[in-house]
Amino acid sequence: MRPHLAVAAAAGLAQTVTVVVQAVLLATVIERCLRGRTTTSDVTPQLVGLGAAIAARGMLGWVGDWVGQRTSASVAGALRRRLLSRVLDLGPSWLAGERAGELALTATSGVDAVGVYFGRYLPQLILAALAPIAVLAWVAYTDWVSLLVLVGLVALVPPAIIFFGRRATEAATRQWRGLSSLSAHLLELVQGLPTLRAFGRVDYGRREVAEAAEGLRRSTLRTLRVAFLSSLALELLAGLGTGIVAMVLGLRLLGGHTSLYVALAVLLVSPEVFLPLRRASAEFHTSAEGKTAGERIAAVLETAPPRAVTVQGAPAPDAGQTIRFDRVTVELSGRGPALDNLSFRVDPGRRVAIVGPSGSGKSTALHAVLGLVAVSSGTILAGSVDLSSADWDAWRRQVSWVPQRPHLFAGSVADNVRLANPEAHDEAVAEAVRTAGLDAAADRLAHGLETPVGEGGALLSAGERQRVAIARAVLHGGRIVLLDEIGSHLDEAALDRLRESVEPWLRDRTVIVAAHHPDVISGLDDVVKLGSPVSAASTSGPEL
Amino acid sequence: MSPGTDGSTASTVRRLIAVSPPPWGRLAGALGLGVAASAATIGLLAGSGALVDKAATRPGLGAIAGLLAVVEVIAFARAPLRYAERLSAHDAGFRALAGWRVWLFDRLEPLSPAPLRTWRSGDVARRAVADVDALSDLYLRALGPLVLAIVVSALAVCVVGVLVPGTALVLGLALVVALVGAPAIAWSARQTDAERSAAGSLHADVVDLVQGAPELIAFGRASVQLDRIEGATRRLADSSRRRARANGAVTALVAACMGGAVTGVLVLAIDALRGHRLEPIMLAVLPLTALGSFEVVPPLAAAASGLAEVVTAGRRLLALDDLPRPVSDPADPQAPPTGAPEVRMQDATLRYGPGLPVALDGVSLALPPGSATALVGPSGAGKSSVLNALLRFWPLESGRAMADGVALDAMAQADARSLFAPVDQDAQLFAGTIRENVAFARPDASDADIDEAVRRAQLDEWVAGLPSGLDTPIGERGALLSGGQRQRVALARALLAHRPVLLLDEPGAGLDAEMAAALLDDVLGAAGERTVLVISHRREEIERFARVVEIDAGRVVGRRWGAAEPSASPPP
Repeated sequence: MRPHLAVAAAAGLAQTVTVVVQAVLLATVIERCLRGRTTTSDVTPQLVGLGAAIAARGMLGWVGDWVGQRTSASVAGALRRRLLSRVLDLGPSWLAGERAGELALTATSGVDAVGVYFGRYLPQLILAALAPIAVLAWVAYTDWVSLLVLVGLVALVPPAIIFFGRRATEAATRQWRGLSSLSAHLLELVQGLPTLRAFGRVDYGRREVAEAAEGLRRSTLRTLRVAFLSSLALELLAGLGTGIVAMVLGLRLLGGHTSLYVALAVLLVSPEVFLPLRRASAEFHTSAEGKTAGERIAAVLETAPPRAVTVQGAPAPDAGQTIRFDRVTVELSGRGPALDNLSFRVDPGRRVAIVGPSGSGKSTALHAVLGLVAVSSGTILAGSVDLSSADWDAWRRQVSWVPQRPHLFAGSVADNVRLANPEAHDEAVAEAVRTAGLDAAADRLAHGLETPVGEGGALLSAGERQRVAIARAVLHGGRIVLLDEIGSHLDEAALDRLRESVEPWLRDRTVIVAAHHPDVISGLDDVVKLGSPVSAASTSGPEL
Repeated sequence: MSPGTDGSTASTVRRLIAVSPPPWGRLAGALGLGVAASAATIGLLAGSGALVDKAATRPGLGAIAGLLAVVEVIAFARAPLRYAERLSAHDAGFRALAGWRVWLFDRLEPLSPAPLRTWRSGDVARRAVADVDALSDLYLRALGPLVLAIVVSALAVCVVGVLVPGTALVLGLALVVALVGAPAIAWSARQTDAERSAAGSLHADVVDLVQGAPELIAFGRASVQLDRIEGATRRLADSSRRRARANGAVTALVAACMGGAVTGVLVLAIDALRGHRLEPIMLAVLPLTALGSFEVVPPLAAAASGLAEVVTAGRRLLALDDLPRPVSDPADPQAPPTGAPEVRMQDATLRYGPGLPVALDGVSLALPPGSATALVGPSGAGKSSVLNALLRFWPLESGRAMADGVALDAMAQADARSLFAPVDQDAQLFAGTIRENVAFARPDASDADIDEAVRRAQLDEWVAGLPSGLDTPIGERGALLSGGQRQRVALARALLAHRPVLLLDEPGAGLDAEMAAALLDDVLGAAGERTVLVISHRREEIERFARVVEIDAGRVVGRRWGAAEPSASPPP
């Protein structure tokens, strides 16, 4: 990334050099033509050089853009993968404390903003520091009086940016509340159209829309009036730079204290002192966005993942053995114990229910079996293998899990069923769909199993989403089945139908079900009761 | 279905302008300021060139005083002119936006709430409002810079042409190539629909990873999802590289045109000087004017991509205009019944679009005056469609809905709706005070009437405890209230409407069972003489009703009149 930055800054600096060359050549040609009877052929080299200098400036701009884009893309790509890998390492227990929408926005447009910060803003910032110095150095060499004028004006740039920048931030903060509430009002009026129609108040709604739009215009303009001040100040200083330099040069020419060549060349170069500063200031907004996102991303990357859950070369536990919870406690960072000292055992082919009120740790116990949360103390054993030092990938291949609130991924119903086994045959998918009782829902959908599920499964009902999760678990084919609150979205009759269709699949498998009531599945061998509140609960289970 | 992907760019822009004409006068004012500011940029450069040219002949202060004054005035005036231009252009842009906002409201009005059902997932209202915001760029970023560039270029060509006629040809040619070429290159590299949807699916994939992390880990799919995201990132980088290349090509093209123009103009000017057809002090003016005039070209590349964004948003919005209006007033509307009517549906079939499954499939039900009925069934069974049919938000495909024997669709829409007072599922309230929301259906209601409605909705104690009482603001969509308070304000609003039939869609949704039960008791207690239809899915709620209609898959699958006993499994 650093060489990219150097190339981009060098290209910018070279552009500045072409401007100086261009000014020198133009001044030379004009001076020679005005001084004597010069023909075009006398100044051909200068004319060609002039055209070439202008064109070269364009080419260098191209190089700068290209390198900047490359930098942005490579920074963003690498950062996104690192960020998301870390998110997965941190796992569900960390994610539970985060807002998914905000995190996703950080991983998409936030990461892009960081890329733009490195690709575009940083080179521009370097150039804003170097280019004026380079131009001023040339002016000092050519005409020190003009140097004094320009230095005097450039010195005013930073205080102007700081002063007006602060005012602009204050104005934006002042207006923000009003702006966002007007935007929200516009949205509620459009979303509330059914209510407006039902009560015959459409005209009121239209009036309010017009008024909110007018209010938005007025308060936005109030903000802009201040926000545009810093570019007004910069442009004013740049204009004055040319104007005052022209005046001083003109007066000195009258007295014969300088030459036409010097006057023209300095005049043409003077705007270039301010241009990089104006560009960097115009990019200030993008830079602020990139900086904010960068801080957020750094905070995530600096969060240490919970105790490692996957160990290389670890023994593969066998799901055909007894599963034993021995005084298992799970502490979630900053939120106290989610599961406290739980002990129980499930023999192969048996069914155990973990019951208790909401928040008593039922789901956490299932998550611990899957290694989705790290066990703080105690052990979970599969046969004689301690899961905390086992090959989790091999273990998870033997465990079928139906989460309480299953997530559906972008794609069709069938894609979602295939999550664990994308190469599964159509017949296997159809069988899993039948087992989960999803076939009736598929008939209702426009394109059956090929119907897209919508964002987060929005096009399916809660009950249908859960049936997709069951079909997914069936297709996964684990010998251990973890069911988390499967009845909560279904009415009594639907639950009966589900029990009936799932029963043959559950037969001969080891089943752990988390539920409010133990009657959620039949044929239970044991019931583990969890108390409430969580941290105070002394959980007891059947004898080990 | 992805609505509104056809229609040429020009016709989309024409239609957008036609549906809400912008404030032409203000746009012209902004343009004038923009031309003045650009002219000042060119004039400052050319004028100071002329100044030093003349001063170099050492004519005495008096001879350059006029030129000096002009240069200093321009130096001072340029920045304020640009500032004024930016403000007035934004002002005009926002005024045009206000027109589109009202237009959007009027377009969505006859479609609400229906288009939400026929489109893909996602909130149509939210997206449409965001699309309208994107339209502000039509004048600010697209058309404004285009017209400005043409006017300023023409002026510059005229100025050099007056001094040395031949230079007009050279500068004109170079400017035309740049003015056409720059936006054409940018347009050819604009974001395609495929790239736009790739960006959308990248976001969806990231959301999936964040929200579906447990599943991805448990089913061993985490690295696959990461690879998928990396692939999408790479594809997007390819397309942004394509755009960066185009931007570079624009820069290079503009530079080449500028270099050619400046050199060419200078050559012709030197010839003219030698032929005594040009004043010596004007020698610098010509190439500097040519140089300065290219200032207006680079914004055109941004204008082209800005236009592409505007057109995409515009097409989606105009597609709303092209959707047929589901319901219209009959030519010769019948008067609605007076008093408490008997509302009846007979073999009602309703479908939200061709090819979509029926939402109601031959539903018959009767709501005698003063009765209370519960409508139950699983989600997607068609309960809300019954309300949409009664409120005439959507027409019946066959069958009838009547009040006292008069078909609802034979009445004017407003008359038909005036029979019903809905309390919707998530109680749609509006920013304002409690009083304004309660008196929503009857803004002229007396204080006594409002107090009565508030009392019957069991809000009076709570309101009395508020420092500002009924004049307490409730926030957007009632955000400052709890779920139960929102429902009760909506109930008070429905009671005050003085309409014979109350329609309640899951009034207890989002409340715990105890609160929901209390609310329902209050509804039934407050209803008085009114007919009540309640959509519900809670067993303990249904048991309060003597009349229960159960529907599933758009059909009535069970009815129970009289005894309020828990029913056994519904008949198949």
